[in-house]
Amino acid sequence: MLSDDQVNEIIIEVESVPSETQSLPSLNQIFLRKSLAKPTFSTVSSVTDIDSVDCQIFRHGIDRRHNQLLRFSSLNESIYPIHRSPGCLSMDTCYPSQETIQGQRLIASLLPMTSRDRIKTIRNQPRTMEEKRKLRKIVDKEKSKQSHGILGATGCAQCLNSLSLAYRRSKSSLSELFNSVSLWQKTLKAIGGKFGTSVLSYFSFLRWLLRFNIFSFVVIFSFIVIPQFTVAEKNTLQFTGLEFLSGAGYFGDTVMYYGFYTNTTIQHGTGASYNMQLAYIFTFGACLVTCFFSLLFSMAKYFRNNFINPHIYSRGITKLVFCWDFTVTHEKAVKLKQKNLSTEIRENLSEILLENARLTFHQQLTRFSAHVAAWLVSTGVAAACSAGVYFLAEYNSEFLKTHRNPGAVLLLPFVVSLINLVVPRFYSMFSLVEKYEMPRHEVYILLIRNILLKISIVGILCYYWLNIVALSGEECWETLIGQDIYRLLLMDFVFSLADSLLGEFLRRLIGMKFITSLGLQEFDIARNVLELIYAQTLTWLGIFFCPLLPFIQMITLFIMFYVKNISLMMNFQPPSKAWRASQMITVFIFLLFFPSFMGVLCTLAITIWRLKPSADCGPFRGLPSFIQSIYSWIDTLSKRSGYLWVVWIYQNLIGSVHFFFILTLIVLIITYLYWQITEGRKIMIRLLHEQIINEGKDKMFLIEKLNKLQDMEKRTNPNAFILETREVEEQNPLHLVEHDASPDLRFRRSVQEVNPRAC
Amino acid sequence: MRLFYRYQDLAPQLVPLDYTSCPDVKVPYELIGTMPELKDNPFRQRIAQVFSQDGDGHMTLDNFLDMFSVMSEMAPRDLKAYYAFKIYDFNDDNYICAWDLEQTVTRLTRGELSAEEVSLVCEKVLDEADSDHDGRLSLEDFQSMILRSPDFLSTFHIRI
Repeated sequence: MLSDDQVNEIIIEVESVPSETQSLPSLNQIFLRKSLAKPTFSTVSSVTDIDSVDCQIFRHGIDRRHNQLLRFSSLNESIYPIHRSPGCLSMDTCYPSQETIQGQRLIASLLPMTSRDRIKTIRNQPRTMEEKRKLRKIVDKEKSKQSHGILGATGCAQCLNSLSLAYRRSKSSLSELFNSVSLWQKTLKAIGGKFGTSVLSYFSFLRWLLRFNIFSFVVIFSFIVIPQFTVAEKNTLQFTGLEFLSGAGYFGDTVMYYGFYTNTTIQHGTGASYNMQLAYIFTFGACLVTCFFSLLFSMAKYFRNNFINPHIYSRGITKLVFCWDFTVTHEKAVKLKQKNLSTEIRENLSEILLENARLTFHQQLTRFSAHVAAWLVSTGVAAACSAGVYFLAEYNSEFLKTHRNPGAVLLLPFVVSLINLVVPRFYSMFSLVEKYEMPRHEVYILLIRNILLKISIVGILCYYWLNIVALSGEECWETLIGQDIYRLLLMDFVFSLADSLLGEFLRRLIGMKFITSLGLQEFDIARNVLELIYAQTLTWLGIFFCPLLPFIQMITLFIMFYVKNISLMMNFQPPSKAWRASQMITVFIFLLFFPSFMGVLCTLAITIWRLKPSADCGPFRGLPSFIQSIYSWIDTLSKRSGYLWVVWIYQNLIGSVHFFFILTLIVLIITYLYWQITEGRKIMIRLLHEQIINEGKDKMFLIEKLNKLQDMEKRTNPNAFILETREVEEQNPLHLVEHDASPDLRFRRSVQEVNPRAC
Repeated sequence: MRLFYRYQDLAPQLVPLDYTSCPDVKVPYELIGTMPELKDNPFRQRIAQVFSQDGDGHMTLDNFLDMFSVMSEMAPRDLKAYYAFKIYDFNDDNYICAWDLEQTVTRLTRGELSAEEVSLVCEKVLDEADSDHDGRLSLEDFQSMILRSPDFLSTFHIRI
């Protein structure tokens, strides 16, 4: 933290510098330190210009991998020979040894690292690429010189080195290939250029969901649909165009639904046999498990990156000034962004100025009652909608029995989609009545209300399907559920299309022509992402009953991307407020995982363990429960001697309670340990922060003291003072001499000239 | 390779296609400033100055590659923070003082804010971010503040 050369001089002149911190005694040193119980952080001090010997130390963040404090002083001189500054004679005589020492120390610190860490560290150095390349060459040379002594290990080590190098090269070329064929790269760039990072996050999320669906579809298609095609029976029903909407009729007897799949063991000739039941369960299990782990890891990655130090909340204004969105490249967008930024800064300023204004009790009461009323109304509406959907669903089945209109099945999906369209906008209108202290809270509360609505509707529908439809004794209830979900998804898609194409277009017309004060609308990211999550939840729910659903969702997402893109370009303006994109993305992925995916898993678990499959359709026909297929498979395996290990695993690991108990215990213990470590680090950060403040105060105090001393000296002996300062300049190795020759030299003035300098 | 073609497109007569002889070619700032990714960026001049070899904005191929590698998605956060600090440090004294802040805010708002508002903003920023209270932001202050805003990584990014 002693990065000021003033302090350096003070150290030399005034000896009592309290340095309780982990600061350097001198700036230009590198040293390795092993951390003890303290949290580790690696600081890198770097020199930015050739002849300036000032260092900048920056904190690297808590380094999890190495338990070492590494500080590098990366002087350019250590790599370049000092021939670029011809006039720098005194420098050469004074400092070359020090610089080469530092360069050697840098290299020495790099040598013991593994090559992966070394590359990472070199990459992190703030130098140009040429310098990094030279540094790497030197380090490699040194390393090869060292390793020549160890004969036995060289063969193996070289082999390993070349292997790892080949692996890295292939990984980078693969990722380059992947990036070049990455879908919609140019479109995303254009969107980001015009609308900024926050709107871009919606489209990236859409693309991410598309990957899930593509993966699921590929797996399901190859393991279930293709084998089924080989033993497909002829479809005797008639095809009318209405099937696309209703999903019933002709489609009811195709690979689209559960009911079509055979429960036999497919065998072609004398080849291998393929047990359809097991294939069905295992394929879906594998799909869901992969999705689970993928979601878990993405969530963990986003949490780690975006929730650092949540307790140190950064006020708006610094972030506004320094986090300019460099991805915006469209000229009009940049101008608009600048205008919006000024507005926001003004708002922020006025907020800060009015911060101390406290509300009267009366105002607080009105606000509180407004909140309570709003919550009551929103919960009431959600409950009413769910009840309505439930009764409609019940009535619908009776209604369908009496009326044979094929379009009547669409009534329930229509109502559900209508609710999903209208009620969120109704919730947004609450903002006219409710006032929040922070606009952030408004967004979160709106999000929570919408989530509650969607969860309650999906929950009610699941309850209806599992408890009423499944137990109703219908012929092929799984297919019925599959058809219901298909219709819901389709209706949702149609409504979104209509909303994007017509609704937003209308809104633009109104905003531009009729009520010009409204202006263009802004892209409501939260609402759109929730719609995506809702659709994905339905897909995951329906995957068991309608195996082709990922394919349909794929097509839907594909079309939605283009429609939303076109609508965005035509009807929207860039967002006016700075939106915390990365935190919101974390929240969305968390939402995708937690209520959505876990809910789906629970529903499927109930289906598989509790429900009775229908008697004459599907791969599990006739069994008392879906899981019975696994039980009988284990039974058959236990009779064969070669597969007893599978039976053992099943009985002792999956089937037994003890194993899960122990696993849970271990996970809880690890979580508790990590939590304690985090708490300890938080305390450490706070202490270090206070230390920085104290150091600043020390610095000020010492500067004042030095000034006073110098003033006193000046008064007593004006001539001697000038000589002394010159001596100080020459003695002090951290001082620089002025040069006019080289244009990129920076120069430091002596202490007496620092004081009058303003900055 | 893509980057090399972009570089070459900026000044086809200056930049040779064959770089094996490592020619010392610099593309002047005026041409770099016309790149579509940088054209409207209020900080384009500072970006070019920071990454150029002599601090004057004229960039060799290495400087060009450096610039886009730091501004890409994959660059580590601390490297980006370091270069962001250099970009915002207009007078190159390794501190962001009040004058640097004023320059930044003026460029960001393009003259929409009045002079007192600008100085008020600078004051507030120094209040919030200056942890050792010396009236200017050092690299550590800047970095610790950047650590608190996770959006920084995604906004300090130029797509090419």
